[in-house]
Amino acid sequence: MALGGTIRGKKTTLRLPAEADLDSYNRWMADMRVRRAHRVWHEPAMPATWKERFKETAKDKMGVLWSIDGDGRLVGFAAGSFWSMTQLGFTLRQLVIDPDQWRKGYGFDAALALHRYLFDYLDLPRVGAEVRADNVAALRIGERLGYVEYARGHEVHYRDGGYVDEIQLFMGKEAWQERWSAEREYPPLAADAAR
Amino acid sequence: MFGPRLDGENGVALVPSTLEHFKLRLGWLLQPETDRFWGPRFGEMTEEKLEERFKKTADDETQVEWTIAYHDEPVGFTGVFDIDWVRRDAESGIFIGRHDLFGRGIASEAVRLRTGFAWRELRLHRVHNWIALANRGSRRANEKSGYKQMGVYRKSFFRSGEWYDEWLGEAYPHTFPEQR
Repeated sequence: MALGGTIRGKKTTLRLPAEADLDSYNRWMADMRVRRAHRVWHEPAMPATWKERFKETAKDKMGVLWSIDGDGRLVGFAAGSFWSMTQLGFTLRQLVIDPDQWRKGYGFDAALALHRYLFDYLDLPRVGAEVRADNVAALRIGERLGYVEYARGHEVHYRDGGYVDEIQLFMGKEAWQERWSAEREYPPLAADAAR
Repeated sequence: MFGPRLDGENGVALVPSTLEHFKLRLGWLLQPETDRFWGPRFGEMTEEKLEERFKKTADDETQVEWTIAYHDEPVGFTGVFDIDWVRRDAESGIFIGRHDLFGRGIASEAVRLRTGFAWRELRLHRVHNWIALANRGSRRANEKSGYKQMGVYRKSFFRSGEWYDEWLGEAYPHTFPEQR
């Protein structure tokens, strides 16, 4: 997984992750509120193990990891992977917000900024995500962004003594443009900019 | 890791893969006859890379792979991979490299052996897969062993001037024919 650069939202900034963030990653992966909502992105471990994972992550060519800042401090991370040389697309695997910072709009703001980057900057034709069927907040974010369900895996995740389904979501560039065409990172080029 | 030998019907068996089996993939994986519903027909297909992949597969505890033998001759490969041992979920796949043997029920029998092993020996809870919707032979082979549609991914890949959709299937021990 490569390390992602700066993507600015209104409340949040996705930015280059640093070793100093790893302690928070570890804490979130050990938090049962996070584990019920998401798949873990590595199990809790010693600082040295996280540092090794971080080095490996930086070398991975198909994945990208960002830390997310909200109001000037670390509040989460996002991770996903590109599909292949011949199939252009991106799967968002994790969008984790510190449970103590839930319900402040950080998740949607970071997701909107990230999708703007994927569609508007990288020009990807499609993006996918997999969400647990009872993760209402994630499903709401997906719906607002323009995702649609294309498959439902039954009894995929096990926690709290029972299974929960997994919903597979998809969004194409057309859906993004229909809904978010005004969402641009840069203003349009001036008419005489290329002269 | 590689799975144990499983003998099926009509001369079909799943056998633990060897390096020689892996090297056969050089001739299997890059042909138009076998690739319509498969990969992009290029890759790091050298003997050295295949040897590396063989060792990696043997060491990997999140997959179980077999060579498919037909009357003791290697003709393809199959397996379950990305096994999540906590959720007891895995993805499955199959590739018949000998296109002159298509239509003989080899895939159906291989999927039956593989799926039965997933339930009876690995104690998995669920196995899922992606198959090109137009690949009716593979879809049917999986459905016979209890896979059911959980969704369709439209316009998954582009071949020969048209878009191909993909069928997403899932199977459980209770959908396996022998346990229904």
